[in-house]
Amino acid sequence: MTQSSETMDGPATTPQDTRRAQRLSSTSVAVIAIYGLVVAMILLSRAVSPAFGGLSQVETIFYLAAFLVFCAFGQGLVILVRGLDLSIASLITLGGVLSTALMAGSNDGLFYILPAILLACALIGVVSGIGVTFFAIPPFIMTMAVGIIVYSLCLGFTQGTPRGFPSPLLRDLMQARLLAIPAPIWLLLAFVAVGTVLQGYSAFGRKLNAVGNNPEAAYVAGLSARTLTISAYAVSAACAGLTGILLAAYANGATLRMGDDYLLPSIAAVVVGGSSILGGRGSFLGTVGGALLLTTLATILSALGIGQGWKTILEGLVILVALIVLREQVFDALQAGLRGLKKG
Amino acid sequence: MTELLSIDGLTKRYGATVALSGVRMAIRPGEVHAVLGENGAGKSTLVKLLSGVARPDEGRRAIDGADYAPTSIGQARAAGVSTAFQELSLVPRLTVAENLLLPAVSSRWYWPERRSAIMRRAQAILDRWGVADIRPAAIVADLTLAQRQRVEIARALGHASRLLILDEPTAALPDTTWLFAQIRRVTAEGVGVLYISHRLSEVREICERATVLRNGESIGTVDLEGVDDNGIFAMMVGRGPANERRTRTDPPADGRVMIEARGLKGGLLRGVDLTLRAGEIIGVAGLEGQGQHELFRILGGASRLGSGEIRVGGQRAALGSPLRAQRTPPGIAFVPEERKTEGIFGNLTAAANIALPEFANRGWARLVNGRVERRLSAEPAERVSLAPRYLDFEVANLSGGNQQKVLLARALMTRAQILVLFDPARGVDVGTKQSIYAMMQRFAAQGGAILFYSSELSELVQLSTRCLVLYDGRIAAEVPRQAMSEERLLAAAHGAGEAPAAGRAGNGMRMAG
Amino acid sequence: MSDTGISSSSFAARGPSLRALAESALLIATIYLIMGAIYVSVQPSALSAYSIESLFNNSLPLMLAAAGATFVILQGGFDLSVAGVISLVNVVVAVTPLEGPLGALGLLAIALLIGMGVGAVNGLIVAGLKIQAIAATLATMIVCQGAALLVLGAPGGYVSDFMAYELTGSVLGVPLALWIALAGVALWSVYRRTDAGRNLLAVGQDRKAAALSGIDVARTEFFSFVWAGAYYALAAYMLAAQTSTGSPNAGEPFLLLTFAAVALGGTAFGGGRGSVTASLFGAATLMLMQKVMFALGVSSFYTGVIQGLIMILAVLFAAGVQLAIRSGKRP
Repeated sequence: MTQSSETMDGPATTPQDTRRAQRLSSTSVAVIAIYGLVVAMILLSRAVSPAFGGLSQVETIFYLAAFLVFCAFGQGLVILVRGLDLSIASLITLGGVLSTALMAGSNDGLFYILPAILLACALIGVVSGIGVTFFAIPPFIMTMAVGIIVYSLCLGFTQGTPRGFPSPLLRDLMQARLLAIPAPIWLLLAFVAVGTVLQGYSAFGRKLNAVGNNPEAAYVAGLSARTLTISAYAVSAACAGLTGILLAAYANGATLRMGDDYLLPSIAAVVVGGSSILGGRGSFLGTVGGALLLTTLATILSALGIGQGWKTILEGLVILVALIVLREQVFDALQAGLRGLKKG
Repeated sequence: MTELLSIDGLTKRYGATVALSGVRMAIRPGEVHAVLGENGAGKSTLVKLLSGVARPDEGRRAIDGADYAPTSIGQARAAGVSTAFQELSLVPRLTVAENLLLPAVSSRWYWPERRSAIMRRAQAILDRWGVADIRPAAIVADLTLAQRQRVEIARALGHASRLLILDEPTAALPDTTWLFAQIRRVTAEGVGVLYISHRLSEVREICERATVLRNGESIGTVDLEGVDDNGIFAMMVGRGPANERRTRTDPPADGRVMIEARGLKGGLLRGVDLTLRAGEIIGVAGLEGQGQHELFRILGGASRLGSGEIRVGGQRAALGSPLRAQRTPPGIAFVPEERKTEGIFGNLTAAANIALPEFANRGWARLVNGRVERRLSAEPAERVSLAPRYLDFEVANLSGGNQQKVLLARALMTRAQILVLFDPARGVDVGTKQSIYAMMQRFAAQGGAILFYSSELSELVQLSTRCLVLYDGRIAAEVPRQAMSEERLLAAAHGAGEAPAAGRAGNGMRMAG
Repeated sequence: MSDTGISSSSFAARGPSLRALAESALLIATIYLIMGAIYVSVQPSALSAYSIESLFNNSLPLMLAAAGATFVILQGGFDLSVAGVISLVNVVVAVTPLEGPLGALGLLAIALLIGMGVGAVNGLIVAGLKIQAIAATLATMIVCQGAALLVLGAPGGYVSDFMAYELTGSVLGVPLALWIALAGVALWSVYRRTDAGRNLLAVGQDRKAAALSGIDVARTEFFSFVWAGAYYALAAYMLAAQTSTGSPNAGEPFLLLTFAAVALGGTAFGGGRGSVTASLFGAATLMLMQKVMFALGVSSFYTGVIQGLIMILAVLFAAGVQLAIRSGKRP
């Protein structure tokens, strides 16, 4: 959106390629930096209080970050294709409300109700995607409108008070441990593995990257840019639904505002993780790092007994600093500096 | 004689890419000074540095002996330097008057000026520069390209009290009479003009001296009186003009019919028939805006067909989208005109760019990594002579020539037997041009078919087995190999078949700027 | 480049007038009036002085917030900080005990200072550091929300009687809220014809052409955020007067509704087309719509469905009009 006049056009054509291939792209540097920061924060927190920095704290962070990671994956895909998904909060609520209402505290039908809910969410994502692609409605508006509609439907469906309980199986799963590690963390690891492959190492991910990078070129190159974009919205909506189902299982019930705490953080996690909000650049591992960073910060600040106000301010500042530090210009400057050092 | 503008050691780098290096030149008061060079030689960068859009990394610029280092358009204007940009810098939904007066349209910044007063002031500007057919109240977006170009030039004229920079001012102007009259008026008052054009005849008519740029360096300044076209061309490309042509044998006249099109209409296209056979390379020539964009986009599947019928490989085909064009056997691969906006994926590596069609056509769950892409893209990259070491580069970091090779390699990756290429060698260096030509000729020799448009006549003459000349949305002439010459094509491109001004013919002749 | 290449000249004559219509607030104003007529016909008591006053008082904060956001959207930017600024200013007003008309004036000055200050920070980050507006203003919004929590941990505070009564009353028989909205319209009508306003639209239409025409793009961006901040502050100030209290979460409902209102007004996301006046009407329509639906007996649970649909339709309609204009211009 903003560009300096200096870089507006760049060189029309360049006589020679003097630039060498970069071993590490700026994205991977950002990912490494994020994880380094998370580790540093956990270690440093130990200096503040010996109660921190232990395995149990790491466990808590992973546990809490899991929900954010689930929905941020979808958000990341949508941002990758130059969109933004503001319907996430409502879809989390929908997932939670539907799963508690339909399962009503029993395990019966768990294995068809859950897929049905995810499918319903994905279909809502398809609607958003169709609005964005075929009707050229700005993603911001389309997903916001869909979010408002879905929320309103949740409100009407529950008549203001969500009823029912999650299936005991799911609820127990959220509390269970496997090899001394909480089951949700296993779930998180599996999700991260699948998500990383899907976004970074599958044909699907490559195509989404291409579409986000240059939609016109993707079309001319023979990609079905619209279908791909729609599928990103569908995945995002399904991920939000999944988050809602798991959150409801974790909290043993759904609330109408249960999704609100995840909308902005999901965007923040993607952006802090080094993805470009303009699309076409980003990695899921970065997003996971962003989610871990935000969660770690929140946990440490809560544990320190810092008030909600300062906590929120610091979170905002962390996002801001990440944005400023992760800019491409900074990487370019760094690389130029390194070259200068080598020459000198 | 004191110089009006003097430049010394001017250097500009973009990242690790050197766009200009140690450029040196001078313009005298009242002189029209041409800057010549191939695309990518650094002309646009020079314009940016002189007009305050970009800042140089090294070097000195001076106007009338005083240091000149503008950091904005406003500062350049304050120093009496103003530019008519090639890409035109008019804001589309404002009126002509507002555009002429930007950024300070009203006489007082804090209060709106009456519309009629604004229009009067704008009319005065238009009157002063002899623009009679454009109303100041017209919305710029409603004007023709030629009208916009004149508004752009009129605005620059008004601000240029010392130096006027014209970057391809005739790209959209059908007639130079008005422009040259205005240039003579300002030079009579001692204003210097830096004039950039691809059209050598035009340059000879209005300019006294020319500075030649090549690969970002200034090769030298010459008096145009004392050097012929070939001499200038040699300076621009670093050697004599290429005269290799007709290096291959004729294709069999009865090759399999790959595309047969009847009565194609859509946009500017008003009914075109063509037959493309295996082994053929059909060149398409035409002045700007004769329907060639539509023809290529329709055949590439990127634009809807208005009416008419296309048969691909003998079967009636509704192309509809580039994907369907690729999948219609024997397959059509389209390389569009706009490399940056429709071609490359800047953030992806060259290998990923090339290998993409492989994934587009096959399963979505297939696993991919850099190695797979490198392996897949190695063969097509070799066919366009793209050095393997570039495969790991992000494409945005490659030169224009290598970007173009990546695009062509991607077209080959689709395994389509028909290539539809819009100006495939535009704006690339001589070496890349040769690689692209060689690829095209091999492709046809192996039984493929190529339809290509080019804005350079020499290219058409060198490569085509026959050439179709578009005029006013129809095929005005079909020129067989034996009868092909640049003069013949140019004449046909001008419609009635009359030969154009003699000065325009010659090496490096272009039809569109 | 035309893909479809519709060759029709029948639209050519209509082009300019369609364009004038699309760029004015006439359309949304008409929708507003129609909706008002429906409201009155369903609920005649809506015409009482009290109802009118309360309708405008209810609508004003969102109208002002949407007006502010429009400045940024017109230049092609985005400003999420609206929620943060409203929360922050709202609580500051509620915890600063200044009485009487002078006190109200003092508070207004403080509010504007905060709003424009945050706007200036946004402007510096976006225009100066070249950081994406959505991401940058997301961060400043969160910081502002945190600051609001520091000022006032829970809803409460105190708003002077003068603000609570006089600012929500009527002057010369017309609600003060309406006067303020009219002032907003008047201000925009002047501003958009000044150089600054014209440059704002020019930057939104074509950043590069604007820069090459000598417009200082960074400066234009910067001030769009500053003006936006001022409007948000005014919105928060009027919100405090209307609710007679402060809340650190006061801004949250504004985040999405503000953009909904701007979209409803027909302002293009991406910049260059639209007006503050249209956004004022858009916000007023959004608020009136809730009343109409209530009056019509639509369950309040489902008003969101209609709101969402109307937003989508509004954007589609504006896009359709643009399409008609563009196709009318084809040779």
